[in-house]
Amino acid sequence: MTIIHNHLRKELLFLFLSITALFFLVGCQKQPSLTFGSTYVPDNGQTNIIVVDSSTINMSTVYTDSTATDATGYLMVGSYKDAFLGQMSSTGYIQLQPPVTLPTLNYLVDTYDSIGMVMIFRTNNPFYGDTTIPQTYQVQEIDTLFQLAPFQPGWYSNHSLPLGPVIGQGSVFITPTRPTTTENIDTIRIPMDYSLGQQLYNMVYNKSDTMTTLTTFQQYFPGLAISEAPGSQGNIYGFRDSSIMRIYYQENSTGGVSTTKYIDFTLNNKSFQFNSLTANWAGSPISNLAKPTSLSQPPPLTSSAQTGHASYVQTIGGLNVKLTFPYLNSIAQRPDYIGLLRAELTVIPLANSFSTTYTLPPQVGVYSTDLHNLIGAPVLAVGSGTPQTGNLSLNYFLPLQTAYNYDVTNFVAFQIVNTAPGADSTGLILSIPPPTGDATFKRLVIADQTYPANERIILSVYYISLYPHQ
Amino acid sequence: MKPSINKLVTQAIHPRGSVRMILITLLTIISVKMMAQNNSLPYSQMGIGDLEDGYYNRTSGMANTGIAYRSNRFLIQNNPASFSALTDQYFTMELGIRGEYMSYAGTQVNVASTESGDITFRKLVMGLKLSKHWGTSAGLVPFSTQNYQFSVPYYLVGTTVQIANSYYQGHGSVNKAYWANSYEFFHHLSLGVEAGYIFGQLNQNNIIQASANGATLVSSTNDLNLNNLYFTYGMQFYGNVGKKWRYTLGATYSMKASLLAASTKLVLNNDSAILQNIQNNESYLNLPNAYGAGLAITYKDKYTFLADFRYQDWNGVATTNTLEYPGQGYSIVSAERGSVGFEVSHKKTFYNTRVELNYLQAGLYYGNTYLQINGQQIRDMGITAGIGANSLKSPLAYDIIFQYGIKGTTANNLIRQNYADLTFVLNFGQIWYTKGKKFD
Repeated sequence: MTIIHNHLRKELLFLFLSITALFFLVGCQKQPSLTFGSTYVPDNGQTNIIVVDSSTINMSTVYTDSTATDATGYLMVGSYKDAFLGQMSSTGYIQLQPPVTLPTLNYLVDTYDSIGMVMIFRTNNPFYGDTTIPQTYQVQEIDTLFQLAPFQPGWYSNHSLPLGPVIGQGSVFITPTRPTTTENIDTIRIPMDYSLGQQLYNMVYNKSDTMTTLTTFQQYFPGLAISEAPGSQGNIYGFRDSSIMRIYYQENSTGGVSTTKYIDFTLNNKSFQFNSLTANWAGSPISNLAKPTSLSQPPPLTSSAQTGHASYVQTIGGLNVKLTFPYLNSIAQRPDYIGLLRAELTVIPLANSFSTTYTLPPQVGVYSTDLHNLIGAPVLAVGSGTPQTGNLSLNYFLPLQTAYNYDVTNFVAFQIVNTAPGADSTGLILSIPPPTGDATFKRLVIADQTYPANERIILSVYYISLYPHQ
Repeated sequence: MKPSINKLVTQAIHPRGSVRMILITLLTIISVKMMAQNNSLPYSQMGIGDLEDGYYNRTSGMANTGIAYRSNRFLIQNNPASFSALTDQYFTMELGIRGEYMSYAGTQVNVASTESGDITFRKLVMGLKLSKHWGTSAGLVPFSTQNYQFSVPYYLVGTTVQIANSYYQGHGSVNKAYWANSYEFFHHLSLGVEAGYIFGQLNQNNIIQASANGATLVSSTNDLNLNNLYFTYGMQFYGNVGKKWRYTLGATYSMKASLLAASTKLVLNNDSAILQNIQNNESYLNLPNAYGAGLAITYKDKYTFLADFRYQDWNGVATTNTLEYPGQGYSIVSAERGSVGFEVSHKKTFYNTRVELNYLQAGLYYGNTYLQINGQQIRDMGITAGIGANSLKSPLAYDIIFQYGIKGTTANNLIRQNYADLTFVLNFGQIWYTKGKKFD
């Protein structure tokens, strides 16, 4: 009997070990690589990704009558005429201060020579327009106190100050992308009125309190405005605000050798350097652009239909583009819609609107807005905390492949189910982000949906689709 | 005086501690792993998966030919009428394990990876001869299996613009728990009925992944819980012709039934937030009327020749299945399968009792499955061979079956599966507790 028991145990043990070993072997097996089956998957019970790129986009140009142009770091000077935005002129205002330490002048040795405006242009300074045209600049003295009025927060593009007669003028030719020195600086000099220089020189010589006391100096000499001379146009250059008014004098040594020396009047207050802009839209597509009629009025909209079936972004000129999507809700109401995957906004610049002369802004931001048409918070891409600037892909040879692209998933996710009053006015604003936007005249022209699909702005909404079970 | 074989067996099972321990261990594994299958079954994405046509029993070495087969020791699920053939007051239990190697061919198979293999439990059944003419059996057997995965480019709907990859994966199984009874009439006729409870879960996943980094854009899972009763009726008529020949005629009929489904469809977005959670209770697929007929001829109680033909009338339920079954580009059509088998049984006489020592088997099968894809009905054919032995010193019997088959074709962009199976069937049998009564 014991023999039988042992035999049974051995049989069972053998079986158990065999089965266990087989299971360990299973783990060594691999799987084949097959691509068989996509044809046969269910057509009505499967999730899909559907893209809707035909959403209606109402596009308008929002005009803000003033933009902050103080403390941009640039004296924007010049004028140009644009086929889309008309004539744009800019005058740079600057408040100066006398040298902190006045030189000791000796009438036996030192002799006044001249006065002029020294303006500095570096390689990466902004410029816009036709740079092949020589520029004639003029300098005028500000004919009033250069000070902020009560409740005036700063200096804006629509501000200007009374100016005296022209006290300096000069023609120059600037090569903005080919600086003339190894320091990437192109310096221009505008000669100014000799008698003004003599007068200032004498004050320095006498160490007049006008020169030693800043407030007295500013009452005597409020500042300068540099602008394009009438009849001269072509472009606007942004000179460094470290531009200076310089008095030249000769120091004669006992050996009869003359040395040129100078006295510099430099920027006094960065916030008291601003640019005054003048736009003349006559004859341009935006000649019908609505302007605010009261201070309390939100920036008015002008539909793209009234501005040549296009809208315009030039933030320094007060132009931004508002986009609204009146039928976005209808996507969420589709029977197969179950959720948003992502949404992309593709902004294609109007093909013939940009060139190497009239360049596109390299960065255009996208912001939320509402019925007040003001620029709101940046619309962030999913998973990013950095405001978007369009990631411009530029192609001059194939202009229609030029585009700004934005991830507007967060906005669409909110707006697609937004049924609150005023939802129709909630949208996006395209604007050149600060600080660039306050110091560049580069502009973007966007075709509306009357243009062919490959030339216009497109909102692509990718949603997850699941058809209701039949 | 030497003890009889039955007594030997009865006494041999006394070490119940060991037997019980091992059986419990095996059952635990079985409950977890029984129907899980790792081999990729590309055709299983359609219908309710690859329908099981094997029984993993004494007939498996004969291409599962056994509608007319009767055994006094083994459980022949091929026909519910067969259980009345069990030895009186006999209890038996069987489990089956199958190792399968599979290779794939076709234009949609990556030549760098064309093989797979797995080992799975395939069944656990038990039977009992309740009275002289009444046999019963219950157990758990596979009904269908689903296991597939593939990744294909995902195109924006209605375009040729690829924006992602789509990964499809499905797994699961439909099983049958049955209870069958058969009763013998007039020593020549046995009638049986099997109440099968079809149940199981199929899990189908689809993940749309970004082409650039594989990040999930949207995923959906569809869990189908299927269940219903599926009855099978069987008949066997048998007798002798002269002293050397014995014949059995068998037939089966399964009555069509609607397969009920409770589905849970869950759609998640790229943040794994739930977008949809749909639950449905409905009819998913109708199981068809199925017919089977078989013949067994035995010579000198040693040589047995068998032939079967089975037919599943899927066309008969096609009207109702058309709208309910998901997928496209294929259809479910009637399936048939023919098979023949041959067995040589070696027996020995102990004290006027004929005891089988071992047996050799061989079989052929050929059939068309219930799938028609690209106008091509999927064909399945192959050969089998088996060897079995009954232990004289223990209550165990062993059966090892080799099977080689070809399923599908490489024509019409389809896939051909070549498979080689090695199945191990373990049978445990003993005389049922008799309360001191004498057994025959």
